[in-house]
Amino acid sequence: MKSIKRTIKYDADRVQGFGREIMGVTGCEQLPSCIQCGTCSGACPLSIYMDFSPRQVMALVRADFKREVLSSNTIWLCASCYGCTVECPRQIRITDIMYALKQRAIREGVYPKGMPIPVLAREFTRMVLSKGRITETLLVMRLFLKANWRAVLSSWRLGLGLIQTGRFVLKPERIERREELAAMLATVSVTRHAARAAKGRHHATPEQLIAEEVP
Amino acid sequence: MSASNGNGNGNGNRNGSQTGAIRIGFYVCHCGHNIGAVVDCAAVAHYVGTLPGVVLSRDYKYMCSDPGQELIQSDIREHRLNRVVVASCSPLLHEHTFRTAVERGGLNPFYFQMVNIREHNSWVHNDRELATVKAKAQARAAVERVRYHDSLRTTRVPIQPDVLVVGGGISGIHAALTLGNAGKKVFLVEREPSIGGHMAQFDKTFPTLDCAACILTPKMSAVRAHENITLWTYSEVAKVEGYVGNYTVTIRRRPRYVIEDLCVGCLECVGKCIYKEAKFPDDFNVGLSRRKPIYIPFPQAVPQVVLIDPERCLQVKTGKCKKTCLEACADRKAIDFSQQEELVQIKVGTIILATGFKLFDAKRIPQYGYGLYPNVVTSLELERLVTSSGPTSGEIILRDGSKPRTAGFILCVGSRDTRTNRWCSRTCCMHSMKLAQLFKEHTQADVTIFYMDIRAPGKGCEEFYDKSLREGIRFVRGRVAEVTDWALAPEEEGKLVIRVEDTLAGFVRRIPVDMIVLAVGMEPQADSQAMRRLFNLSCSTEGWFLEKHPKLAPVSTFTDGIFIAGCCQGPKDIPDSIAQAGAAAAECLALIDRGYIEQEPNTAHIHEENCSGCKSCLPLCPYTAISFDETVGRARINEALCKGCGTCVASCPSGAIGQHLFEDEQIFKEIEGILA
Repeated sequence: MKSIKRTIKYDADRVQGFGREIMGVTGCEQLPSCIQCGTCSGACPLSIYMDFSPRQVMALVRADFKREVLSSNTIWLCASCYGCTVECPRQIRITDIMYALKQRAIREGVYPKGMPIPVLAREFTRMVLSKGRITETLLVMRLFLKANWRAVLSSWRLGLGLIQTGRFVLKPERIERREELAAMLATVSVTRHAARAAKGRHHATPEQLIAEEVP
Repeated sequence: MSASNGNGNGNGNRNGSQTGAIRIGFYVCHCGHNIGAVVDCAAVAHYVGTLPGVVLSRDYKYMCSDPGQELIQSDIREHRLNRVVVASCSPLLHEHTFRTAVERGGLNPFYFQMVNIREHNSWVHNDRELATVKAKAQARAAVERVRYHDSLRTTRVPIQPDVLVVGGGISGIHAALTLGNAGKKVFLVEREPSIGGHMAQFDKTFPTLDCAACILTPKMSAVRAHENITLWTYSEVAKVEGYVGNYTVTIRRRPRYVIEDLCVGCLECVGKCIYKEAKFPDDFNVGLSRRKPIYIPFPQAVPQVVLIDPERCLQVKTGKCKKTCLEACADRKAIDFSQQEELVQIKVGTIILATGFKLFDAKRIPQYGYGLYPNVVTSLELERLVTSSGPTSGEIILRDGSKPRTAGFILCVGSRDTRTNRWCSRTCCMHSMKLAQLFKEHTQADVTIFYMDIRAPGKGCEEFYDKSLREGIRFVRGRVAEVTDWALAPEEEGKLVIRVEDTLAGFVRRIPVDMIVLAVGMEPQADSQAMRRLFNLSCSTEGWFLEKHPKLAPVSTFTDGIFIAGCCQGPKDIPDSIAQAGAAAAECLALIDRGYIEQEPNTAHIHEENCSGCKSCLPLCPYTAISFDETVGRARINEALCKGCGTCVASCPSGAIGQHLFEDEQIFKEIEGILA
């Protein structure tokens, strides 16, 4: 039997001020102009898989439904194609709002754990910071292992083909003089810490936040 | 002309009736919270009271109220005031009110100065302390200035009773008829070969569904037959000179190569044209049908006169045609290939602009596929298809000739979009519902309207919306993202697919239809900026002609004597256009029937002792008000012609020209006052 769930929302379900915080992020200022026309959802190539359509996300943010937004798969399915942003009749930078929500979800640790997209973001940054560039094959392997290792098994045929055509290189790529990159990053992170201490943490990108975690 | 004119004994009489010391009365208005919430009015009044010459200084809640005006009048008498300063709102709003109050108190109305501490202060500032400092400086400047004011008198200029109406759409027609019926001579100028405008292209009108032609054509014929209306079609305004009451307008009359008075509209010539088949796109049917080089725009055209398209006619283009049309016209001799463009000058006192709108070009939104998919049409194209006088005799068909079984109406095409037009075009919701009902009636098709918000505030419009719902028209709330012919499902094969989020259901849908109708919005005419310059009007940033006041003067403009009506002021439906046209006509009548224009005495005058007779001012005057008196070798200004533009004042190398209300010492004292 299908379970019946309570769907009513009380005012206590809202996190007052959340909408205003998101609108305060650079690029998200146009959000108050949203007229809920649904062009973003119609233009989105991935909205057909989303639990909330982009339009609904806009409405939820504006109405301070923080938990619902940050736990939705919509913000992670966004492929940053900017189709919605281009077509929005109110010139709302919907993709930027999606980024702001992703940052917020990572910062608060509320994103869906098995979701490959945040894992990809983290692994990508980690590899760039330590090696100076990424090795796609290794990145994909790590993504599979951390997000969904069973998927490796189902993709063996693709992998074999890639190895045979020489597209699957296991040798890690790295830049020379990595110690200089490390020194550079160290100065950046020092200034960033100082800046963040002064400003609060509101405008940190996921990469910045991950950079803090990486020793 | 007025009695006070010409000899200088009327104006410029400094302190003429005043003797003794300057006694200034100062009033600062709270304007409710408008000023009082930001400016400390009591402090301003107290400060101004300490200035030399000020014998009385008050703050009051509403100076423009009757008690406020009464206060000025009784103070003038009791305290023997001989100058008055009021610090309140914009002179545009209440300068006249206060001048009248001053006059009623027994003073010359020009011993008054107004300070704008609302628009120039309280509405644009937040800091109470600084705003109060500024208000004090503004008041001080006026107090310094008003000492040097002169006793002046307004002049009266007679008004030309004839009226020019530009644009022969429903607004222009209604305005012309109203004025004509009131006995005024009207010139109605229309750019197209027939009057009627957009309304002539419509089949029916919402929300009553009465036939557009049946209600419009009687008015069109009435214009043609009216003894007081001179109708010039195929003509444009080329030049406008003069001022309220006395405009000289040059009209460019393009050649139709047909003598209007001789042509009876029998259309024999059209049948006999050397082009056996009509092959040129017909503008009236928005390109859906073809016409010949000699044609009549549409069957009910007014005037019922053919015209020749110079771009298409062999004779006009090359001079080598058998001229079969001439033979057909025979003894009537109405066709005249030697016609030339003609410039006609007319004198009018007032002008009504009713130049209308143009439709948004749907090609600017490529994702809707207009111009790419043949069965994507605009609302005006469908309007022509549905009309019995249209190219298909009222049959709605697809381009391949078959009948559509499903249709989708996309609303807000180009409207409510910051990338194209920000505004709501106001009529498209109702217009689309009307077309949807007609569509269903003609074809029994399944019709869906895709909308963002249904706006049906007009009289009978909400009921019309209800009728649409009850007749089974589907409504999907969502702005269409794209139209494609790429089928992803069997039912989409050979159809146009609309991809849209059904925002009320909460998911994205793909809806296949046979025909798509784009409800294109209204835009200012392409040449609205040129028109604006021609008539010296203001435009909103979008290009709509700007009314003098959005609420209190909706058909007036900042140029006196020029009024606007209909969609050139902004999108509106037929009842609103007609209401505005009637209002504009009434405004003209109010001016005409008073018989004179009262002119601000801001005319320039020459200090003869300083004039060197260099004549440099003469060619500069836009109103040819300056002449040269050879006997004394000095320039002379005709006050009746002077409009107070100040060009000569600024240009005189000897500083010999002054201007009433803007004398040098008044301006310098005002500057000193504000900087002190």
